[in-house]
Amino acid sequence: MSETLTLSPQEERIINKKVDRHGRERVYKILERNQFTIPYVDVERAKYFTESMRETEGELLTLRWAKALKNVAEKMTVWITPDQLLAGRVGKLGRYGILYPEIDGDFYREVLGNLENRDKSPFKIDPADLKTVMEEIAPYWEGKTYHEQLNKVLPAELRNVTYDDERGLKSKFVVSETSSYRSALQWVPDYEKVLKRGFIDIQNEVKERLANLDLSNSVDLWEKKPFLDAMYIVCDAIMIWAKRHADLARDMAAKESDPVRKAELEQIAETCERVPAYPARNFREAVQCQWFVQLFSRIEQKASAIISNGRMDQYLYPYYKKDIEDGTLTKAQAKELLECMWVEMAQFIDLYINPEGVEFQEGYAHWEAVTIGGQTPQGEDATNDLSYLFLESKREFPLNYPDLAARIHSRTPERFLYEVALTIKDGSGFPKLINDEEVVFLNTVKGCPVNEALDYAVSGCTETRMPNRDTYTSGCVYVNFATALEMTLYNGRMLYYGDEKIGLETGDPTTFTTWDEFYNAYKAQQINLLHKAFQQQVVVDKLRPQHFAAPLSSVLHNLCMENCLDLHTEKIPGGVDYSYFEFLGYGTIVDSLAAIKKLVFEEKKLTMQQVIDACRADFKGYEPIREMLSHAPCYGNDDPYADSIAKDVDRICQLEAIKSTKERGVHVDVRYVPITSHVPFGQVVSATPNGRHAWTALSDGSSASHGADTNGPTAVLLSNYHSKNYDLINRASRLLNLKLSPKSVAGEAGTKKIMNIIRTWCDLKLWHLQFNIVNRETLEKAQKDPANYRNLLVRIAGYSAYFCDISRSLQNDIIERTEHEDF
Amino acid sequence: MNPDLNDEQKEGIVFNIQKFSVHDGEGIRTLVFLKGCPLRCRWCSNPESQRMKPEHAFNPSRCLTAELCGRCLKVCKTGALSLKDGFILFDVRKCKQCMACTEACPAGAQTQYGSVMKIKDILDKVERDAVFFSRSGGGLTLSGGEALAQFDFALALLRAARKRALDTTIETCGYYPYEHMHEACRYLNKLIMDIKMLDPEKHKQYTGVDNALILDNFKRVVEDFPELPILVRTPVIPGVNDSDEEIMAIRNLIPRRPNIEYELLTYHRLGQPKYGYLGRGYGLDADVVADKERMRHLRELAK
Repeated sequence: MSETLTLSPQEERIINKKVDRHGRERVYKILERNQFTIPYVDVERAKYFTESMRETEGELLTLRWAKALKNVAEKMTVWITPDQLLAGRVGKLGRYGILYPEIDGDFYREVLGNLENRDKSPFKIDPADLKTVMEEIAPYWEGKTYHEQLNKVLPAELRNVTYDDERGLKSKFVVSETSSYRSALQWVPDYEKVLKRGFIDIQNEVKERLANLDLSNSVDLWEKKPFLDAMYIVCDAIMIWAKRHADLARDMAAKESDPVRKAELEQIAETCERVPAYPARNFREAVQCQWFVQLFSRIEQKASAIISNGRMDQYLYPYYKKDIEDGTLTKAQAKELLECMWVEMAQFIDLYINPEGVEFQEGYAHWEAVTIGGQTPQGEDATNDLSYLFLESKREFPLNYPDLAARIHSRTPERFLYEVALTIKDGSGFPKLINDEEVVFLNTVKGCPVNEALDYAVSGCTETRMPNRDTYTSGCVYVNFATALEMTLYNGRMLYYGDEKIGLETGDPTTFTTWDEFYNAYKAQQINLLHKAFQQQVVVDKLRPQHFAAPLSSVLHNLCMENCLDLHTEKIPGGVDYSYFEFLGYGTIVDSLAAIKKLVFEEKKLTMQQVIDACRADFKGYEPIREMLSHAPCYGNDDPYADSIAKDVDRICQLEAIKSTKERGVHVDVRYVPITSHVPFGQVVSATPNGRHAWTALSDGSSASHGADTNGPTAVLLSNYHSKNYDLINRASRLLNLKLSPKSVAGEAGTKKIMNIIRTWCDLKLWHLQFNIVNRETLEKAQKDPANYRNLLVRIAGYSAYFCDISRSLQNDIIERTEHEDF
Repeated sequence: MNPDLNDEQKEGIVFNIQKFSVHDGEGIRTLVFLKGCPLRCRWCSNPESQRMKPEHAFNPSRCLTAELCGRCLKVCKTGALSLKDGFILFDVRKCKQCMACTEACPAGAQTQYGSVMKIKDILDKVERDAVFFSRSGGGLTLSGGEALAQFDFALALLRAARKRALDTTIETCGYYPYEHMHEACRYLNKLIMDIKMLDPEKHKQYTGVDNALILDNFKRVVEDFPELPILVRTPVIPGVNDSDEEIMAIRNLIPRRPNIEYELLTYHRLGQPKYGYLGRGYGLDADVVADKERMRHLRELAK
């Protein structure tokens, strides 16, 4: 490290080995026992789930699911992690992941035996467990998994852009489906309902609804009754499961010789006897209750990126406030309980079986987003003491879970913003920011009541949820629009796939005489991919309810209970349905189009033939041409030349999405949230006319191409702003990364600068913002010397991960993000 | 003619417009660097700012090499660019500043420092960040070179900026007739001025000019504009002006008033490569390096 380098607090801790463990002995002990072990696959959930599903064929899917969950609840091993204050985990000790064979069991043969050796997010599996999978679990699901069915029903012209092999194991990376990576996109259950009412009361409501059915009516008899039966069973299931933890805690307490731990175990037993059956009476019970619901949701299904924590500073606050006032809880105890949850969460790893799924979210990503700040349902500022406690905990104990999301609005108090900025400055990437001024507006105009729109929770990577209004969303389609650009150059073909015609034959671009001619050809390719994407989503949306059910999530959702419909149902009356498609390669495309427009058609410094020859050769022998291309106007610099193209490319998406919205009755919205997939998607795209080399990463999210944003962070934000179509509403999240050097935000003045950037970002109504405040030198050192940098957290895409847990190519991608220095 | 419109139409030589400047005035600012400076500080980190006309520079680290490109060699008619052992060499003495090579170079290795810009275009560009200024209290900072070296132009620029309700600051060395400073200060929200050292001989040795005018200007501006926020800065150059006595002597010259601040700048040699690009030599020895501890000590001392 050079003398003058300013270190972030995180870098300080790692490089100078300064960690303050005082008061955190317990959580560090739990954490360090298994923080960097390779995770294990635990097969019990899959085993008992399958065991029950085998016996219930022919019944209503929701009912089968509830029965299966009850079977798991009764038989699965229950755990209390040593030293923990919270009971419950859904797999063996250490870091672990669990299986959902109903989704992707057809991959097990190829993948499971070799899970330990894959270089991205590897897992271990016990040989006996592997045998169980191969003999008891996988055979049942053969021919039945969601993924197999999808592969089977996709029409040829859609399969052709989706998969690259017969069985659908390999993605084509053109119009990729991700619905088979998970049963639905991220979700937030209504935790508050359980805390306030408990499952006995919820079950009573089910009983009442059952009693009110008219069984002479066939809908009531054949649809509503089995649905409500399922609701009844799932309430039983979670209560049985919780009670088993109480019994376990009593057993462990009886055998415990250490009086301190014995007392803790007895308290755990008492808490587990109370919640989630009855309403929580205090902070401890509330936290345990939330944890049970969260864990059981994981047993229920694989909602992508796992279940989120919702607005934790809101629903926990009454319990916190009361306990603090009563003197039965100290701030330190509250923090310890929460941090006990974080370390437990850190051990649950979202296991992606599909090898390509892994590439979409590297670094053992999962997003149990905790939402803090924002507004109340009445539109007042919602910040409270707990909001600050979460930030404090993140600064003092910077673990990569949970993901912390701060909601910002135009009246966010200075103090909250200040502490958010301080936490960001720590350098581990927390919290990410979500803008109420954009999200509340969009949810409202899309049909959500204002009070519920104001009460949204951040969920997953950068998405949001309203737990009693939203409905499930299928894993969305990822559209690689960089291929549309490539197919414009090569008349519907891509160099990676040789002669295969993938897009439209828009003609030989060397015969085009005007920019309009070229741009229209590109536009046709883009629209063609959009149509494919929308068609694929229709198939996916129809198929999903046939394969998945979610009794626990349904019993907690007002609309599901009112209508007696599973949350996986395609349309639920009163619900607001979202469907997303992911835009891959935004900066790459915009910069390429700008270069062609300027150099070929306006200044005529290059011919189209020269550009194509240079790209075909990956610029070998065409270095001067590459330089000219890469010096053309680029997105991310607040340059109207590039940004106006960016805006139109976005507009094309939205105008098509409007048509699809009308057709399907579901909001079809464009997103720019690639997670880490801009790396694998780039691997099929040859050299592009912005000077990008073949097979390298595409630009990520709505961020600029690497190194192209040379005008500083204000220009990055403004390009984002100027490329948005504020007159259209078929838009959702745009993921935006800002990488700043610790020096540029040093001191009080630096904290103020971050606050200023955030305020302006809020004014600009941009959806999301996250910071990486780390020195390039640190990242390079960590790459060379991982052992000493194991704790280094970096912001990836809506989540933070250990730098040493991610692949080399993604590490390089993060290093290459433009670092904005002060001047 | 409308005099305000007139300001907006005036032209001057600008060599850079830099957004997100956070250390040169309040809030998030955009720095407009004007060309031309009466001083020749040996540690100057912007040598390209010194001459008051556009000039050519060659940055070999960006060059694709003659083997892959060589376009500049084909257009250079003066022999300023030549080929030796596969490398392109630049001889500034032969360069006629025709800029043909900067046109031809695809890689930005042959570049031009400085170009003529209209005030309207400058302010349009600056105003693009206005949404950040209003949140941070930022605005426009004129820098250089010497911000007031192109005096008429700079004054018009400040005047026009104020018309557009922009917050204005200049960074100045203070070496020009006092009337210039007085006139400029009428359009300023803040003045940032360097006092580099007090010994006139040494000042002349290291900056090329005597400091009497600078010190006199400072004295007068402080008197004439008692309310104007002023930041006085001293670049601390190891072995040149970094003794306790010299720093304290400067400190004692500065009135202790709430609107006047004093700041010590740490020496860095980040500008050194640019001397090479311009075909000039750097003015300080290689072993001149800032000492963190020393800076901490001096800052404490000068509080």
